[in-house]
Amino acid sequence: MDNPPCLITLRRIVLLSVTLSCLSYQSVFAHHVLGRPAYSLNEDSNTPPSMSVETQVGDFFVTYMVFPAFPKATQPGRINLYIQGIDEGRYFNDNVTFLVIDDAFFSNRQEIIGTQNIDDGVYRQGFVFKENGEYLIRAHFEDNEVPYDIDFPLQIGEHSPVKPLVVTVLVLLFTIVGSNLLIGKRAQLAKFRAYRKSET
Amino acid sequence: MTMLHAGLPTVWIVIAVLLMAALLIGSLFSSTSAANRDSFSLAEAPLIGGFFRYLSSRTTILLCLKILFVAMFVLIIVSGLMGTPIAERNFSTVVTWNLWWTGIVISVLFVGNAWCAVCPWDTIANWLARRRLWTRNRFETRLNLRVPSMLRNLWPALVLLIILVWLELGVGVTTSPYDTALLALLMVVSATATLVVFRDKAFCRYFCPVGRTIGVYSQVSPVALRPVDTDTCNSCKTLDCYNGNEEVEPCPVKLVMGQLQENTYCIACGNCARSCPSSNISWQLRSPSIEAIQDARPHFDEAAFILGLLAFTSFHGLTMLPDWTQLVSSLAREIGDSGQLLVTFTILLVCYLFSVYMVYSVFVLLFKLVAPRFGFSQIYSGFAFSALPLALAYHVAHNLNHLFKEAGSLKEVLTNPMGTDTMPLSMTEKHQRTMDMMLSVDLIPAIQVSLLVVGFWLSLQVIKYRGEKIFKASRFQQIPLVLFSVLISLFNLFLLSQPMTMRM
Repeated sequence: MDNPPCLITLRRIVLLSVTLSCLSYQSVFAHHVLGRPAYSLNEDSNTPPSMSVETQVGDFFVTYMVFPAFPKATQPGRINLYIQGIDEGRYFNDNVTFLVIDDAFFSNRQEIIGTQNIDDGVYRQGFVFKENGEYLIRAHFEDNEVPYDIDFPLQIGEHSPVKPLVVTVLVLLFTIVGSNLLIGKRAQLAKFRAYRKSET
Repeated sequence: MTMLHAGLPTVWIVIAVLLMAALLIGSLFSSTSAANRDSFSLAEAPLIGGFFRYLSSRTTILLCLKILFVAMFVLIIVSGLMGTPIAERNFSTVVTWNLWWTGIVISVLFVGNAWCAVCPWDTIANWLARRRLWTRNRFETRLNLRVPSMLRNLWPALVLLIILVWLELGVGVTTSPYDTALLALLMVVSATATLVVFRDKAFCRYFCPVGRTIGVYSQVSPVALRPVDTDTCNSCKTLDCYNGNEEVEPCPVKLVMGQLQENTYCIACGNCARSCPSSNISWQLRSPSIEAIQDARPHFDEAAFILGLLAFTSFHGLTMLPDWTQLVSSLAREIGDSGQLLVTFTILLVCYLFSVYMVYSVFVLLFKLVAPRFGFSQIYSGFAFSALPLALAYHVAHNLNHLFKEAGSLKEVLTNPMGTDTMPLSMTEKHQRTMDMMLSVDLIPAIQVSLLVVGFWLSLQVIKYRGEKIFKASRFQQIPLVLFSVLISLFNLFLLSQPMTMRM
């Protein structure tokens, strides 16, 4: 028997309310940062998650932040660089050039990704990497004709889980098989010596 | 923003100083007597005796424990390589650095050097090299070369310990699950390669920084694997504990149980207990520190290792002080270091290690001035044991903070070892973790102070016994070394009184 239209409508209303209440339930548990939900966090957001490094170079205290914390290839990301004088706390106010250097073995590829001016105390540099890998970001600036080059590591994508396992297995195999070959050779030599001794 | 653990409250510092002063005065006016040699075999203890008898005669329990630890070790490698890079959400970093690395030192107080018996990298190396789960291997599967004589001491382990501390505190392996997994793989490769190439267990005996740290610390432990009746050992002609028998492998570190004076090289594998025809070897309760006080024979390399431990324990505390970053920054500025400041860190590490050796040397020289009959190296080695209880006491006290204040995420990483879909700890969570301790906030300072005071007292006992019985020195002549003990104890107390940066 077909349901009357009013019942169907009622069912739809109930279904919609349940769906909406489920969604609102989810949003209650959504991670909020500074009043904004977490899903709005991206490379243009000034909120965590980020990875940061603090260091001191010459007369400057430098803070380097990467958004998002674990950037991936083809996804846009951003570097925030804060350069502050150690003694008087003044912000460095000149151009900063950002370079990217491939940190892989036997590679010296490097590329300028941009030159930035200070904006509200921060040097912001966006990036998009085509390939996963380990890179160095070099921030270059000059203060009173003294050049500064500061290198920061940047991991794009995840580390390869297979490489260390393969290397480990290969080293273990090499050691075990190699030693067994040597043991076999040693046993043969001992037999040969025993045979020679018995003959003489 | 970093979270800080509060330091010792002032009242506990005052109590510690008063107790130390009382012990110092008491020690000056009390006579020296040999440490109590009585021991109690745990195999004869009510309720638990059966367990220890079974443990000494069968491999089942040990094998089960080994499999369990290997499984956890494999999970550490897998989660480290494939899990989230967020250290505080990954099984690899939480279990390795917050639970194991802190707990292993505390375990020395209760189970001595038992960790070595279930050590997962040694177990894997054994399985790979000997191709047996537990029975004796009759076939030649190893090259059995001799370790070069210059490496047959604790120097290699000390160098590797320095590298381990550098990796831990300088490079920051503790905050990288991937690097933690790489370190675990490196341990497996090193243990296996050494086992395949060299005779006996050269890695355990000479190279393993973890095993030798536990071995040296366990000289202070009240629990050890020892003969029940020394007369039985004295009359033994077969030395099965050393040679093994049809079923059981010989001692892998070449120790004769009847002559064993110190735990430094023992790896608690239990082969001696299983092979002994008289079932004369068992886990025993004994007077704590008896080895450090009177039994252990002085060797220069062991003395250097003990002082290295003393330096590294307080160096850990030093690097977790809020002012440490400022110190590193200032030095980096002077020398023009940049990036991860590894050069600066290395300089500070080496300088600190060197300064501890130098400070001890100064007090040894002062002792030599008042008791000139003995050579510098004799005094240096003989009294280094006095630093052992101080190092262990501070190490355990420091680790209590990590273990009880930071290991709260264990349940979380056990249910989600890879840390899938997790975010970095928010400030609220960090704050909650410092509040949500496994022990009462009032109990931890009490335990820490008790440890420091007991460590100081044991150190005084070592100086008194060795000073009088070995170096024939009067109380007055012992004063330089007593001052060293006082100085280190007060410095350790100062470190504990400071706020400490949370590891993760």
